[in-house]
Amino acid sequence: MDKETLFKKLAAAVIDGDEDETARLAQEALDTGIDPYDAIMQGCNKGMAEVSDKYEAKEMFVPEILLSADAMYAAIDILRPHLKVDDTVAKPATVIIGVAQGDIHDIGKNLVKMMLDVAGFNIIDVGRDVPVETFVEKAIEHNAKLVAISALMTTSMMNMEPVIEGLKEKHSGAKTIVGGAPISQDFADSIGAAGYGKDAVAAVRVAKKLTEA
Amino acid sequence: MARMTSPERMGAVMMGEKPDRIPVVPFILGYAAQITGVSIGDLYADGDKCFEAMFNSMRLHGYEQTPMYGYASLGPWEFGGEVMFPYGKGHSAPSVTKHPVMSIEDIENLEVPTFEKELPGGFKEADKVAKRCVAMGMPATIQTGSTFTASSVVAETSLFLKWIFKEPKAVHMLLDKVSDMFVNALEYFAETYGPEHCMPFDGGPVEANTILSPKQFKEFAYPYMEKLHKKIKELGMPAVLMHPCADQNMNIPYYVELRKKLNWEGRYFWLFGPETPIQDQIDNFGDHDIICGNVDPPSIQYKSYEDVVRLCKENIEAGKDSPNGFVLAPGCEFPPLAPPIKVMAMMDAAEKYGRYD
Ligand code: B12
Repeated sequence: MDKETLFKKLAAAVIDGDEDETARLAQEALDTGIDPYDAIMQGCNKGMAEVSDKYEAKEMFVPEILLSADAMYAAIDILRPHLKVDDTVAKPATVIIGVAQGDIHDIGKNLVKMMLDVAGFNIIDVGRDVPVETFVEKAIEHNAKLVAISALMTTSMMNMEPVIEGLKEKHSGAKTIVGGAPISQDFADSIGAAGYGKDAVAAVRVAKKLTEA
Repeated sequence: MARMTSPERMGAVMMGEKPDRIPVVPFILGYAAQITGVSIGDLYADGDKCFEAMFNSMRLHGYEQTPMYGYASLGPWEFGGEVMFPYGKGHSAPSVTKHPVMSIEDIENLEVPTFEKELPGGFKEADKVAKRCVAMGMPATIQTGSTFTASSVVAETSLFLKWIFKEPKAVHMLLDKVSDMFVNALEYFAETYGPEHCMPFDGGPVEANTILSPKQFKEFAYPYMEKLHKKIKELGMPAVLMHPCADQNMNIPYYVELRKKLNWEGRYFWLFGPETPIQDQIDNFGDHDIICGNVDPPSIQYKSYEDVVRLCKENIEAGKDSPNGFVLAPGCEFPPLAPPIKVMAMMDAAEKYGRYD
């Protein structure tokens, strides 16, 4: 199978949530000497981006997406150990991701995390109901370039600004992106976040922009 | 027209008569703690404190919502898992710390809680609230669902959602067990307080179309909703407070089907999220049921008093003449940290724009 066909099939198997097929294709990529980085970016990543679009269009729903995620990881787990070192010359930026304090809604955070992961970021997931101090401490500990905070409630969104303040004071090298159903660009601007993403695809776009600059 | 009292107002709507003005049910839970000096943790951990906070908030504001107990993550505690009460910084409702179901085997071994001796988990607190309500002539509100949402937190949520495809049989077994718990609850409350004093409260967020497709709703949520509502009908309870939480527009045909299929003379209070236009609710349920408002909760918290009055006015104008009555309400829980003038805004709007005389 040529490269292009394999990438297409890999993307399709991610969309279908077919773990066995993605694992098989990943192995086939390795066996036939296809660059694992290309397989991840043009197969897995493309497939997942389409999944995200289909979710926004209400053609796919969360249960299907979770299966797609498993299928994607089945391939990535096989491909990643074989990534050539020079593919990652510029060491990937580290992102701390978590759900704001007081909030346990983590389905959206998990989708964003996955998209950032497959896009090549180094992800540290600090979970849900995360105290303000933990975001800051983890950012310092891992020398993070980016801190991504999710909030789904009017109460917990109040706990985003203190993280931004804390980072300014103690780890000014990190920028913050925020998201979640009640968050808007206006709100993000008002609390001094560097970026806002309406969905997981936007999250990747914004994260790339902020870390490449 | 002489002013009605709050119970008279609700009574009139229930009987299909016109009250002096539309009732206001602000869907207050955590807010009641905030303004009565009770901690929000205690509100959920102690039914007596819950009753007092809600009763006092009701008296303070003069709205029509009577005390009730419930939260979205009900289920895990009752089935032997653990929940954390909202004592922590920023917490606003109980959350699960240990899901009783982490594997298919756990589903097979899961035992349905009984109500014979000690009541399970949160129902013990709900019972304290119900007892004091009924003693004062107010309805006993009982959370009876939704089965789908409760099941999605009894099991670890992502696993549960994946099992919909991978282990549909096991998912049905879990849904069946969880709905049996709610059946037991309904029977207990009907027997203890008399069905005529009971008001089941059903609904949940996990069947929202931001999570679930209408097809999945039909297969996994609907059958258990029908099972419970049949039970409610059989027991002879007069009304149900129904809250399809968040965006459930694609599920509406199934709620309509439920209504038709049961052919029930009782009444539903429909409380949809802000995503569902009031007119759509009237078109689908207005001929038989009471429509509740759906003012956007974040706006209640963040917008000014004047803006909230305006949003309520729009809601009232859209719903006031629904053939079987309208109740002003937000589209989900009243924001627990909103300032008290936002409740005042709802009350003022009802007085100003919601009068029938
Ligand atoms: C599922 C759900 C639950 C589940 C959560 C399961 C879980 N493990 O996550 C359960 C049942 C447990 C639950 C509980 C509660 N819930 Co709830 N829940 C929801 C619901 C229906 C869906 C959320 C969701 O997962 N959506 C799907 C995902 C994929 O979308 P998303 O999270 O928005 O994420 C996308 C984008 O926003 C973006 N994004 C997300 N995060 C980030 C971060 C960054 C950095 C970026 C760039 C982008 C980004 O990308 C994602 C992918 O596109 C929402 C309704 C809604 N419309 O959001 C209510 C909702 C969030 N819940 C609500 C409430 C009130 C509660 C409870 C307090 C109820 C109660 N009284 O018990 C409790 C909370 C308990 C607690 N301690 O926190 C309210 C919040 C109201 C408010 N605005 O304050 C909502 C909005 C419902 C409503 N209509 O009012 N809930």
